[in-house]
Amino acid sequence: MNLRDPERADALAGEYVLGTLRGRARQRFERLARTERIVADAVRGWEERLLPLAEALPAIAPPSRVWAAILARIRSAPAAPRARSLLWTPVGWWRGLALVGLVTSLALAVALLKPAPPEGTLVVVLAGQDAKPALVATSARASRYLTVKAIAPVAVAPDRALELWMLPAQGNPRSLGLVSMVSPAGVARIELPAAADQALQNIPALAISLEPAGGSPTGLPTGPVLYTGPVQRLY
Amino acid sequence: MQNDPAKQLERNARLMELLARTALKDQQAFAELYRLTSPHLYAVALRIFREAAAAEEVLQESFVNIWHHAGSYVAAKSQPLTWLTSIVRNRCLDQLRRREVETVTMDDEEEGVTIAAEDPTPLEMLLSGAEAHAVKDCVEALEPGQKQAIALAFFQGLSHSELSRHLRQPLGTVKSWVRRGLERLRDCLDRAGVTR
Repeated sequence: MNLRDPERADALAGEYVLGTLRGRARQRFERLARTERIVADAVRGWEERLLPLAEALPAIAPPSRVWAAILARIRSAPAAPRARSLLWTPVGWWRGLALVGLVTSLALAVALLKPAPPEGTLVVVLAGQDAKPALVATSARASRYLTVKAIAPVAVAPDRALELWMLPAQGNPRSLGLVSMVSPAGVARIELPAAADQALQNIPALAISLEPAGGSPTGLPTGPVLYTGPVQRLY
Repeated sequence: MQNDPAKQLERNARLMELLARTALKDQQAFAELYRLTSPHLYAVALRIFREAAAAEEVLQESFVNIWHHAGSYVAAKSQPLTWLTSIVRNRCLDQLRRREVETVTMDDEEEGVTIAAEDPTPLEMLLSGAEAHAVKDCVEALEPGQKQAIALAFFQGLSHSELSRHLRQPLGTVKSWVRRGLERLRDCLDRAGVTR
């Protein structure tokens, strides 16, 4: 594209924002907008002209699984050995670090489980939409039981139950059963279909949904997803 | 979303604050940002794909992206909702491009541009969007073909060739509708002081 021709740059920017600039031309133009100020300014001008027109669209609330998936992704983590010491370093350190969300949640899990858990532990910190951790699920990798402990008050109406789900990388959630807290201790023990290591293989995250007493009648979550958290392997 | 200018200002200030806090990795602010903007952004994606799974995926990708790049939002340069909308729309259009590559052999089939009957048409939405921003005159001043082509491209993500099929007009005609329509719209909006 000839950048000496601002008219042309502006016309292409208009088609780019409108969406009619397609295919390779779109990709080329996008690259150009990253390096050429005149192109970037033209794009911004068109975004200001056209995008507010989209506000006329009737709003549609997305299903709650979208937020659950976003949370699981911004928190899910390969184990980072230095996480704990990094948590308390000055706030600016993470700028530019793509993995910060993961590191933070792992550090949180470690901090919550003082003293440090024994080698070979799986940890899932389940947090609500407000991002505050509410429950922690742990298991030794060879164990067939998952211990779920409430670390914040978790209130459930008498005609409702909390159901724990595995969220596989692909496919539908699979139920692990109901989380019935024995108050005031707030600890539940859940049997896994196999040793934790194996049962939670290819399961990036767990979630807890609110269901009718007795659990979901359909085998899939029917109520809102209240808590989600990534499966972290401390080994 | 809000059409009252005072409320719009208030909302923008709130969204800017939430974006700034999201850039500091404040998950609570991010959750609030999602709560306030996702119904609008989901509607944008759903219109383009007409398929919930694809729209959900784009929304998810976009917000993960927003979480990581909220720091690159520069308040002085664009309105927060405009910035967020551009992220979602660009991802939608990328996705459409990928699909076009994958389905290039079936390109001749009539595409299912079906929308539930009770939904407003793209043209109605373009007009009500313009009305909300006091630029209705500019949209109304477009010729009917220009208006129709721009509304379909903008809200439903139709390409030139899809427009040509949908409007049953030669490719050259719809291309010129889009080009001339955009020029006219720009001149009128800039006179009306919509852009800085």
